[in-house]
Amino acid sequence: MLKDNVFPVKDIPNVVHPNETLVATHCCYCGMQCGMNLRVNTKSNRIVGVEPRYDWPVTLGKMCPKGVTAYQTVNHPERLTTPLIRDDASKKGTPDGFREATWEEALDRIVSRFKELQANYGKDSLSVFSGVSMTNEKCYLTGKFARVGLQTRYIDYNGRFCMSSAAAGFMRSFGVDRGSTVPWTDIPETDCLFVAGSNAAECHPTSMFRIWAVQERGGYLIVADPRETPIARRADVHLDLRPGTDLALANGILHQLIERGFADESFVAAHTNGFEETKAIVSAFTPEYTSEITGVAPDKIVRAAELYGKAPNAIVMFARGIEQQHKGADNVSAYTNLALVTGKIGRPKSGVATFTGQGNGQGGREHGQKADQLPGYRKLTEPKHVQAICDVWGIAPEEMPKPGVSAYEMFGLMTDKTIRGLYLVCSNPAVSAPNQNFVRAALRELDFMVCSDFFLSESAEYADVVLPATSWSEDEGTVTNLEGRIIKINKAQEPVGESKPDWAIQIAIAERMGRGRYFSHLTDPKAIYDELRLASKGGYADYYGATWEKIERQQGVFWPCKSEEDEGTPRMFLDRKFFHADGKANICALPYRPAAEEPDAEYPLRLTTGRVVYHYLSGNQTRRVPFLRDMCPEPFVEVHPALAAQYGIAHEDRVRLYTRRGEAVFAVKITEAIRQDTVFVPYHFGKEQSINLLTNDALDPMSRMPEFKACAAQMVKIG
Amino acid sequence: MENTAKSVLYIELDNCIGCRSCLAACTQCGGHEERNRNYVYDVNPLVNRQTMPIMCLHCVNPACARSCPVQAIQVHETGAVLSAMVEKCLGCQNCTIACPYGIPKFDEEQKLMYKCDLCIDRTKDDIPPMCASVCPTNTLQWISKEELAAKKKKHTLDNENWVASAPYLENETNVRINLPGILQGTAKLF
Ligand code: SF4
Ligand code: SF4
Ligand code: SF4
Repeated sequence: MLKDNVFPVKDIPNVVHPNETLVATHCCYCGMQCGMNLRVNTKSNRIVGVEPRYDWPVTLGKMCPKGVTAYQTVNHPERLTTPLIRDDASKKGTPDGFREATWEEALDRIVSRFKELQANYGKDSLSVFSGVSMTNEKCYLTGKFARVGLQTRYIDYNGRFCMSSAAAGFMRSFGVDRGSTVPWTDIPETDCLFVAGSNAAECHPTSMFRIWAVQERGGYLIVADPRETPIARRADVHLDLRPGTDLALANGILHQLIERGFADESFVAAHTNGFEETKAIVSAFTPEYTSEITGVAPDKIVRAAELYGKAPNAIVMFARGIEQQHKGADNVSAYTNLALVTGKIGRPKSGVATFTGQGNGQGGREHGQKADQLPGYRKLTEPKHVQAICDVWGIAPEEMPKPGVSAYEMFGLMTDKTIRGLYLVCSNPAVSAPNQNFVRAALRELDFMVCSDFFLSESAEYADVVLPATSWSEDEGTVTNLEGRIIKINKAQEPVGESKPDWAIQIAIAERMGRGRYFSHLTDPKAIYDELRLASKGGYADYYGATWEKIERQQGVFWPCKSEEDEGTPRMFLDRKFFHADGKANICALPYRPAAEEPDAEYPLRLTTGRVVYHYLSGNQTRRVPFLRDMCPEPFVEVHPALAAQYGIAHEDRVRLYTRRGEAVFAVKITEAIRQDTVFVPYHFGKEQSINLLTNDALDPMSRMPEFKACAAQMVKIG
Repeated sequence: MENTAKSVLYIELDNCIGCRSCLAACTQCGGHEERNRNYVYDVNPLVNRQTMPIMCLHCVNPACARSCPVQAIQVHETGAVLSAMVEKCLGCQNCTIACPYGIPKFDEEQKLMYKCDLCIDRTKDDIPPMCASVCPTNTLQWISKEELAAKKKKHTLDNENWVASAPYLENETNVRINLPGILQGTAKLF
């Protein structure tokens, strides 16, 4: 088992209140997957509260405000408890016009409409849009449900808005995509942390005690972010760049590392390809040139490179700030270059890590929910990979649907009527997708839409049938946290009302579609997981040896875990073997491209988006929790005092923001924590408060990730 | 009188990120009726959003208890200054005025003061209070007296005034606060 020298697990007894039991599990929100105990009343068998789980080695009982209040969603009065059917399509896009229905009627309606659409317009007229706040079991099954149950090529998931740039960048650099090459317990022991594009304090707060510990030990913290976030505020160097210029900054740092002799030549020669080409590309990125593009002072760039270069051990960490761009995959590889060129990878306390935004952002991207991908990170374009999965699924390779399109592109196909039916599960694209006016119109265009969720989300308002799904604590299964550690979540109470787990719903639909023989053996999450283990065997993300029993015994198992004897892989590449065919990693030569939309006379400001600590993703859950809603009831726009003076606006004034795609009104929050040329709005809010009405849908050519983090905007004072 | 607690609540102000987990957690403590008894203050909200938790410091000679005409505020043997006893409290609000840190609050409906009791149901058994259990940044820590001594040694600043104690705050306190600037004395690794 992993040892943590800085924060050893203390033996603190659990507090059990009278007439209660504790169920050990994990938080339902971000990729930290903090350990927690749910308090269950033994008379009512209901979850009534939360107790810290001091024995969980990753988080030691710590929780953010979302975690502390997560249990309040389970028995929330707004939970969906029965299926809902909308008979009058004219009310689409509103919460009105639904009536309660039985499961029989709802499933019959779904299957008859699905069959009708497929009979008239072909199998591919249906689509599945899923998410990664679900267990591995559900993510795996959703991929199989689309391809074998509905026999459509069109499946993709909200990880395209969240994790796909990290995945694509890591695949290109390492030949494998595991979000962190080291366990989180290594963080406090490293000597230099380089955090790029991550508001870690608000998005992954329970990482912070380890991050602060680096400084408390005398190590250095470098933060690249347009905003002076709580983590940037205390950094040794804060690289306050213009949104969308991260690639130039990473190239500039790499240039300095090479110039100043911090490259590890023997590592580079023995274990990497592409150094010379990359060196040539970055040679132009002198501190002055890099500063011109990024707006960061040259001496800060030099200092950051010096600290990272000199550090005996260092970890490069990043998140959506660099990934949610139309060059997100390049940004990821550019930051990964720093570790590869200096040889600070493939050993303890050094490596690369991405903060996973969604609860199962890691596991959910490995099991075949992506348009172009099969379980175990296999590729749909590789006949051998297809054959391997066909063997597990019991279908012929000819029956395997071809690759589809990415999440945002599906809305285009809805608009032109290529896609006519949608099965939406565990996602809220009517808030979270970019260019909302287009996306909402696309949803309206559908002939038939099903939404499975546990609250009536903004997206569910476009559905013809809404199915009540269970919440995370009414079912069991596994998730894979941001370290790549497969962990177990446990059932704490029976499902509310008539809600059912998504796996059971999908199997029921598949059976009615006449595809029952491929699903009927999957009677519980364990059976699904065991099939997932088989399907991932021999793939990049190999879960075969990570049985539920081993996960319990070892407090999680890091993949790859290839056999019963294998304890798993907390640290990647310790043998200096990368996953490309020649065993080497790629140092990537990446020419700089500016943001897809640069400010101009009409739209002079840069708009960037992100999170607040009180809300999760589209806010569908957290906006319903009283404590969290009270703390942040509304979105706001952060404006620097100098910019505010220029526009004549004051704190709490209201302004209208415009971009080429839309407009919305926000209350002003004056703060020096933002650049003068940039405004920031959090994205957790729906309807007319959604900043995604304004964001840019320019896609990364490699990861198909939209450019949420930078676009050109105009601000006008109102009232 | 030396209190019997094995551990102390220790606050490292610099670490706070303003997440307010401590507030949320306080509502989860047994007997707190889902009402938090601690607060988080925005130090300079229009500048950099530095925040600091405002916790009851469990004064050794508490002004709240001193000001109470009927001794409704008891000091537990661990040093925790308890919430007003229901059967004694008159609802006069003297304590809410007396406390220099604004900790005791007044429940208008019940005509009763309520304040942080250092999660006495937990801390009497040396289990960390809820706020310190969850605080994700180690701003709030529940540490042994040995750990406290080690911290004091490590973080001694030139002026040696590293903890909030007499004469800088109300008086001597059971809760220890590290004044901002904790990293000033840290020697860099390289
Ligand atoms: S939980 Fe900790 S970091 Fe969060 S506001 Fe409270 S003291 Fe600050
Ligand atoms: S901080 Fe205020 S409420 Fe707490 S013990 Fe001291 S005087 Fe009483
Ligand atoms: S010690 Fe307990 S009562 Fe006091 S602030 Fe912390 S959680 Fe609340």
